[in-house]
This record gives sequence, C-alpha cells and structure tokens, in this order.
Amino acid sequence: MTRSPAFEIFRYAAILLALAFALIPILWMTSMAFKPIPEWTATGADLTWWPKSPTLDNFRFIFGESTSALIVALDRTAGKPILASLLSATFGTIIAMASGTAAAYALSRFGSGQNLPLALIQLRLFPPMAVMIPVMIMWSFLGLVDTWWGLALIYGIVTLPFAFWLMKTFFDDMPREIEEAALVEGCSRFRVFIKITLPMMRAPLASSALFVFILNWSDYLIALLLTTREWVTIPVYMASLSSSMTGQLYGAKAALGLIAAIPPVILGIAIQRHLVRGVTFGALKQ
Amino acid sequence: MSVSATTKVRAGSSASAAAARSERGDREGRRLGLALTLPAQLLVLFIAAFPLLMQAYISLTDWSPLDGIGWWQAWELWNSFANYTDLASDTRFWNALWRTAVVMGICVPAEFLLGLGLAILFMDEFAGKRIFYSVLLVPMMVVPAVAGYMFFMLFQSGGPVNDILSTLAGTRVSVAWLSDPNLALLAVIVADIWQWTPLMFLILLAGLVGVPEDQLKAATLLGASWWQRFVTIVLPRMKAIIVIALAIRVIENFKIFDTLYIMTGGGPGVATETISVYIYKLTTQDLIWGYVAAIALAILIALSLLAAFAIKRMAAAGKEAP
Repeated sequence: MTRSPAFEIFRYAAILLALAFALIPILWMTSMAFKPIPEWTATGADLTWWPKSPTLDNFRFIFGESTSALIVALDRTAGKPILASLLSATFGTIIAMASGTAAAYALSRFGSGQNLPLALIQLRLFPPMAVMIPVMIMWSFLGLVDTWWGLALIYGIVTLPFAFWLMKTFFDDMPREIEEAALVEGCSRFRVFIKITLPMMRAPLASSALFVFILNWSDYLIALLLTTREWVTIPVYMASLSSSMTGQLYGAKAALGLIAAIPPVILGIAIQRHLVRGVTFGALKQ
Repeated sequence: MSVSATTKVRAGSSASAAAARSERGDREGRRLGLALTLPAQLLVLFIAAFPLLMQAYISLTDWSPLDGIGWWQAWELWNSFANYTDLASDTRFWNALWRTAVVMGICVPAEFLLGLGLAILFMDEFAGKRIFYSVLLVPMMVVPAVAGYMFFMLFQSGGPVNDILSTLAGTRVSVAWLSDPNLALLAVIVADIWQWTPLMFLILLAGLVGVPEDQLKAATLLGASWWQRFVTIVLPRMKAIIVIALAIRVIENFKIFDTLYIMTGGGPGVATETISVYIYKLTTQDLIWGYVAAIALAILIALSLLAAFAIKRMAAAGKEAP
C-alpha cells in the first residue's frame, strides 16, 4: 500500500514524539547515574541533560567505596541485594517452569488437571496485596522470611500461571507425529516427554523461562513484605538509599536503577518474538 | 451418510483394536498426567486453600502480630463480623477504591488509544520500522520500581519536567508535582501510561497484522475509504484482541503499587492512596491484620464474582458469534 507523503511526515513526527516520551525518563536516569554529587540536584540554568563531568563515583559508591567527604560509605553495599535478586528470580523461574511445563504437558496430551487453567488465571487476577497476610504468617512459621529461597518459592507460585499457559500453547502447537512414532517404537510416555518432547521444545522453553525471569526480577511488593535485611532485593535496597542526613542519594540510586533495568530490557528484546504470547497468557501468537 | 457397510465394519474392527491399544496407553497417560500435574496442583493448593481458610478465620478476629499470641489462637480476640461492618463505613477504604477506579478510568483508555494509534502507524512497512518497534517496547520491560524512581526524579520541582515546561512556556515553571494532591495523582497516571502503553501497542499491533491483506486490498479497489476499511474490516476482526488487551490492563492496573508507592508513598496525605497502598499501610504500619484480612477477603470475593460474570458474558458472546 502506498501512502501519501503527508502521511509519511505525520507518521515520522508521531513516532519521534512517542520515542521522545519513551526515552526521556530512561535518558535522565542514565545521565544521573554518571553525574557527580554537585550535579545531582542542579536546577534552573544549571540543570544539565548530560553530565558535565561524567564520573563512575556513583557505581563505586554503591559497591562500598566512598570518594566524597559529603557521604559516608554505606554499611551495606549493593552486592548482596544483587545476589538476592539473582538467586530468588532464578530459582523462582526454575520452580515455575518445572511445575508449569510438566502440568502444561499433562493437560495438553492427557487432559489431566482440567482445573488448572482457570485456577491459575484466578491466581493472576488477585492483587498480591490481598493474599499477603496469610503468606507472611506462613512464611514466618516456615522460617522463610528474609531468605532468598523463601522469595524464590513465592515467585515460583506467582509466575506459575505464565509458565503454565505459555508452555501449554507451545505444546498445543507442536506436531504430535514424532511423539506418536516414538510411542509405536515402544518408548514409554514418560521417556517420550523427557527424551523427545523437551529437547524439541528447547527454544520455547528458553524464551518462556526468560519471560518468567523478567517477571520475577521485576518484583518489588513481595520482596518489600517478605525481606527485611539480610536478603533484600535490588528495588527494596534501592528505596533504602536515602537517609535523613544525606537526603536522596540521587546518583547512587540511579546507578543501581540502571543495573536493575538493564537485564530485563536485554532479555526482553531477545525474546521480543514471544512477548505477545507471554503477556496475553498465550491467547495471542505472533 | 453414504459410507458402505463394509467400510463401516472394517473401520469398526480396526477401531476396536486401536481402542484396546489406546486404552492401555490412556491408563499410562492418565497416570503420567496425574504425576506431572502434581507439583503445580500442590503449589496452587499451598497458596490458595490453606491461606484462604486462614484469612477467613483471622478476618473474624481483632488479631494483630503484636498481640504476642499465634494466629491460631486468634479466636481469643473473636469479634464476629465487626471487621466487615467497619469496612462498610471505612471512608478511607472507599476513597482508595474510588481513587483506584479513577486511575484505571484514565490510564486504561489513554493507554489503549495511544497504543492503538501507534499500532496503526506500524501496520505497513517503512524505513526504520524494526528499530522503532524495539525501542518503543522498552518502557514495559523496565522494572516498575525503577520506573517509579525515574518519574520520582523527573517530577521533582527542580527537575527535568519543569525544565521542559519552562523551555516551552518561555518562563520559569517550578511546579511541586509530587506534593500537590491533584498533580501527584496526575504524575502517577503519566508514569503508568509511560510504562504500559507499549503493552497495548504490542498486543494491538499483533492483532492488526493478523488482518488479511487481500481483504483490505479488495476493499480499497472497491473504493472504500481508510476509515470505512478500518471500521468494517479491521475492527470486527480485532474484537477479541481488544477485549484481551483491555482485560489485561484492567486487571493489572487494579493492582497498581510499585511505581506509585515509590513516587509518592500514597501521599501527599492520602491523595494517591490506591487499594494496594492502603492495604500495604494497614499491614505494615497499623498492623491490624484481622481487619486487613477482612478487606483482602472482601476484595478476593468481589473480584471472583466479577471474573465469573465476565467469563460467562464472554462465553455467551462467543456462542452468539458465527
């Protein structure tokens, strides 16, 4: 379809506007991450979109090295929260993917677990805040509060609906001929699942797992309620980076924010092809 | 109808052999299916059944974690349905619910229209399409808490938003966005639109691309205008996708917490206090967990009824459609 030049101009103008809206917040945080302390709160004529004297001090600072007399070194550095985020999100993804993939396969091939699709959608429907009281009581009873494995368990449950629905649509789409041929050859159904289906589904498994990982990595509320000190995750730690003495540590927070934002953006672009399927619970494929 | 007797017989005999074979397979399949669904079922049970009962029990008491007694002893603080009658007259709760509805009423339509507009621009090929597409999706991948912090910085009174406005207006603008009740709500809404318009764009574009091109071409040849094509060919095919996109955003927007809480903490005062923020404050600051359980349970029941109603309606609509 050919379009008029006027339309093309309008299109590029609109897209440029949208790009500006999408990128300004990201640019501002990125620039803030490299600004020295005097530029953090510069306003009016002094406000700069690019750091005048770019520095890595903010990154050094959150990892425990203070280069300024203005701000004392942190008693808790960003290292442990980054580890907490990595461990809880990774193991949460493993829990969700393992149980979700198995259940999705069982439903897709043998019709088992008919209650799961709706139960899992309901799980997703409820605001986490509305189920956190019992979860907090149970987690404290089980000694899971303020541990990365306690977070991993709840993450695994919260993202199970995505893992299940994504894998179910992938299994439904998969041609069955190869599986059937293996069955005729005398393979047990379990062996077919492990030795034939799963290896064939490597790519969908990988993109589903990355999608689930992004969701787990992005959590704030659950970690805010279930971790207190030892195993706080990046967003919780980030919110604590302000004190009555120093006020907001703008640059330090921005540096940490940048570190937190980069992995999901890279992973998200890597699985861009499957994003639609992910966000719509597999209802829509691209 | 015109199958001959012999084929019927042959089909019958081979079917019975296949049935015998597949019955053995079926039993094996059922057993394996049961085993494979077990972990997921246990996780669902673990997070649904027991916690719900616990929540229902606690919601009938005045229990708080500060009382020094375990939750199972909460019956000592039994108050019948006092929490629920309190809830009915809790203006802070109803205000938070109303505020959540207002935020949703602005965010979701705005995200939908902006997303649809962008998706329409991306329907056909043009230079730079792929890279623009990727970049426009980035906001939805940013960790919401980090997005909240971005907008916290942007909306500072000496911050870049005021700087841009000053440049546009020609005079110095220094609005204290986050400490003005109305403007704070607006700032929160802008942040939500920033983060979730890409989601609408992503879903709606996938729907638009699915519209068969030859039908559009035929309609063009017949002299249909762009608007006629859009309304008569594109929109009807997009109906289900539009419903899905809106449903997803309504559900997720109702939970709004991360960005909002980091930007304003629900303030100034209670100006941006949505349902999730209100429950969070009751949970962590007031620590009246009996009452929180009652609110949470009321919300869960209301949402379940709404969802059941919506699914029924959609199923009915699906049956009516050809």
